[in-house]
Order: sequence, then structure tokens, then C-alpha cells
Amino acid sequence: MSRPDIVVVENLTKYVRPGFGLRRKRVLHDISFRVREGEIFGFVGPNGAGKTTTLKILMGLAHASSGRATVLGHDVSESAFRRHVGFLPENPYFYDYLTGRETLDFYARLCGVPQPRRRERVAELLERVGLAQAADTRLRTYSKGMQQRVGVAQALVHDPDVVFLDEPMSGLDPIGRKDIRDLVLRLREQGKTVFMNTHILHDVEQVCDRVAIIVKGSIRYEGVVQDFLDAGELSSDLVLASLPAETGADLEERFGARLRSLGESIEARVSEKHVDGALACVVASGARVISVTPHRASLEEIFMSAVEETR
Amino acid sequence: MSGLAASLARIWAIAGNTVRESVRSKLLYALLFFAVVLILSGAVLAQLSYVEGERILQDVGMGAVRLFGVAIAILVGINLIHREVDRRTVYTILSKPLSRGDFLVGKFLGLVMTIWLQMAIMGSAFVAVSVASAAPLTPAHAAFFALTAVELALVVGVATLFSAFTTPVLAAFFTTGVWVVGHLTRQLRDLGARSESAFVDWAAWLAHRVLPDLEAFNLASEAAHGLPVVSSDWVLPALYGAGYLTLVLFAAVAIFERRDLR
Repeated sequence: MSRPDIVVVENLTKYVRPGFGLRRKRVLHDISFRVREGEIFGFVGPNGAGKTTTLKILMGLAHASSGRATVLGHDVSESAFRRHVGFLPENPYFYDYLTGRETLDFYARLCGVPQPRRRERVAELLERVGLAQAADTRLRTYSKGMQQRVGVAQALVHDPDVVFLDEPMSGLDPIGRKDIRDLVLRLREQGKTVFMNTHILHDVEQVCDRVAIIVKGSIRYEGVVQDFLDAGELSSDLVLASLPAETGADLEERFGARLRSLGESIEARVSEKHVDGALACVVASGARVISVTPHRASLEEIFMSAVEETR
Repeated sequence: MSGLAASLARIWAIAGNTVRESVRSKLLYALLFFAVVLILSGAVLAQLSYVEGERILQDVGMGAVRLFGVAIAILVGINLIHREVDRRTVYTILSKPLSRGDFLVGKFLGLVMTIWLQMAIMGSAFVAVSVASAAPLTPAHAAFFALTAVELALVVGVATLFSAFTTPVLAAFFTTGVWVVGHLTRQLRDLGARSESAFVDWAAWLAHRVLPDLEAFNLASEAAHGLPVVSSDWVLPALYGAGYLTLVLFAAVAIFERRDLR
């Protein structure tokens, strides 16, 4: 039995007016996608593609010009259902005159978490995001990474069923990024649904179950991450030494190879169907084959080709 | 918890946080300090006068309470919503189960509580300096403070309305304009009535009806001269203020609900 849809976006279009009296600009063009229960959904696109606008509409911070969006079966213009929703905006800002503990207590009150559960939950989350030591320090002294951790904690303070994260790894060091990745995976283990806006494709490959790629306000692809990778073009990277210049030109012309200098050697990426012919050509020229590595197109390459198509 | 009780609890959380922000703001302490100094300096000014020293003392005191009260109301009110949107603190708050109306009303109530708290401090200084100078304190003084509290709440409401859709500079300009014109609408209406132009008469009448009649809250003259004040002198203006404020807040919420937050 297929899992129920938690987020449904249907034919969403959004126009904005960049300035007073200026013509309206379309930033979302008839986009549709669905996020299923218990999955980690990556919403991927370059800067300015419309990711944050989509998320703002889902969070009720902006209004759609047309189309429909629901979360947990409720229209996004409602507010009551948000007791089941957590949200981490990109580069979150908080009241810097509050301490970490006061901040989380404030958000827990907004979500209707009663005392004494609130006190316990705040302490538990401060511990979980590694801020227990700084809990009673005002936020104005927190580093960017610490603010991001407060952002994660406030998104989870009411134990939501769905969590929306806008560029959650933004501004974090490698340890912070790993912590967030682990946290997202842990949320999935707990049965939560995670919607993640990002442009870091490595993170998508590592944690997301499904992905939608948005470019210039239109959805270009939507599907299972592994399916994308499996469908990606198979090729091989040939690392060659002592390759004559004319053979290099030959590889490019006849086999469509893409050459890259590695210093002493040359790397030639050749599609799978041309590997045998390219190797024969290399051997005939007297060059040395150091290695042959099969290569599957990464999400990044698929993403780049989607972006290129729109140029 | 019922829907209404939950909504009130969220409004209270926002209001409490707004008060906490103000209590931790150095700017408001500075303004309050100068207001109290001005009220106390009334005693010195009274000493310099041969006649009506007590009246001068209380005129200066009540003037300081109104002036600094309005300055604080406008200064903080114009940033009330704009700063939240500009700093994007509103993103995490509005993603929680509260409506924009809850948020705006909570911010408004928090600021009004802050201003009333400051009025209480200024009022205490006024009473202390009056008692020390043996100046009379009458029910008219209590009515003056009560109506000034209503007027300041109304000014905060107007500032909140402008803050919901424009920049702090424009909001300050508009709110100050409403405050100044609000104290002149009765004169405008009377001038219009004497005009030969029907349009001027109509425009002056409309301004008097649409803009808040802030002179309705001014009992400074009655208090300073020890004139008697009957209940209708302050109950009716208080009801008028509450009604006007409700309309202003409805308009502010309606505008804020429609805004896209960038």
C-alpha cells in the first residue's frame, strides 16, 4: 500500500512585483509535486530557482498567485495544523536578547507545549543539539553554527510530524553538517517526514529518498534519488600516460571524449559504448593506459544538465 | 485547551516577549530617565516663578508624561512589525500554530503594557514631586493619566497599522502626522464650518470624523486648574478610544494578513 501524501502542491504559480510600479515577474510556474509520509524529500535548485518562495508558500509566509498547496491535508493558509509542522528557515534569526533556553521556551509556548513537559523538552533539545553548556547565554554571543542549532531545536520543540528545512547545512562546518545529516536520518527513523531545500547535491545523494529539481521556477525532474542515479549515463574514466597530442584530438573527435589534464597524465571520460574503440586507439598510439574506472553520472551532473537545458 | 484559550495563551506569549525586549532595551531607559528628570525639574522651574508655582510644576510634569509617552510610542511602535519582518524573526514565529492576527495583537499588547509601565514610573515621579511641593492632587489628575494611557494606546495602534505595511521612516512620518492632526481636528472642523466653500467644510468634517480626535483625551487643563471632572468626561472618551483602536487593529491585521513576507 502506498504511503499517504503529506505535502501536495498542485499547479502553483507565483508572481512578484520587484519594485513599486514595475511589471510582475513570474517566480513559480505551475509547479506540482507530492511528498509522501516518512520520506526525506529533497527540493533542489540553483539560487533564485524558487525553492525558498515555494517553502514560504507552504509555511503561509507568502501567498500563491494561483494553484493549491496542502500540508497534512490542510490548506496552507490555515494555522492550526502547524502544531504538527516544524520549520527551519535559511539563516534563521532569533531575538538576540534571549538566552538559548528562553528562546526554546518561547517557541514551545507558541506551540502550546504545557509545563512541566516544556521544561523537560527544552532541556532535552538543548542537549540533543549540543547547546546544553550555552543554554543560559544570550543568543547575541552565539556563533552562526550555534544559531543554526537553535534553529533546528526550535523546529523540533513541539515534536512535529513534518519538518521543513531551508538550506539546513548552510554556514556549518563539516562536523555541524554531519550532525544535521545524522539528525535528518534520525527523524526518518522516527517516522517523521522531512522536506529539505538545498543546493548541496552531495547531501541530497546521501540522505534523500526522493527529489524534485526546480530550475527557473519550473520543476524539471521529480522522482526517487536512486532511480535518477541508475538512469544516469554510464561512462568510463581512462587515465592515460604519454598520450600524443594528435591521439588526444582523435579521441575528442571520434569518440566524444572529454579530456582533463592530471599533470603527468591525462584523464579521458568516454561514454560506455565508445570505451573499446577509444582504448584500441590509445594502445595503437603507443600511449600507456594507467586505469579504467567505470563512472555513473552523479546527481550533480544530472542537475547541471537540467540547468543547462534552460539556458 | 479550547481554541480561544490557546489563542490567548499565544498572544500572551508574544506580548510577554515584547515586554521583555523593551525591558532589556537601553534606549527606553534613556528616554525614561530624561522624562523623569524633566518632571523633577518642574520643581526647580516652579521656584523661579512668583505666581502659580504649583501649576507650572504640574504643567511641566504632565507635558513631559505626554511628550515622552508619545515619543516612546512612536519610536517603538513604528518598528513593531517592520523589524520582525526585516530581521526575519517572524519566519519561525509564524510557522508555529498562531495566526498573523495573534502575532500582531500580541506585539501591540506587549508594547502598550511597556508604555503603561513607563507611564506608571513617570506618574510616580509626578506624584512624588507634587507631594514634595505641596501641589494639590485631584481626581482630575487621575482622569488625566487614565486618558493619556488610552491616547498612547491609540498612538501605538496607529503606529502598528503603518508598521504593518511600510518602512519605519514613513510609519514615523505618518504616525506623527496623525498625532499632530489628531489634536487639531476640532479646530479644523470649526474652521471648515466657517468656510464659504462647501468642499472645505465637507473635507474638514470628514477629517474630524475619520482621524482620531485626540483632544478628547486631553484633560491636562482641567487637572492643572483643579477643575471638577465628572465620569462622562473620561468614560466616554475612553470608550471612543477603545472603539477607534479596535477598528485600527482590525485594519492592521487585514493588511498584515495579505502581505507576502520577503
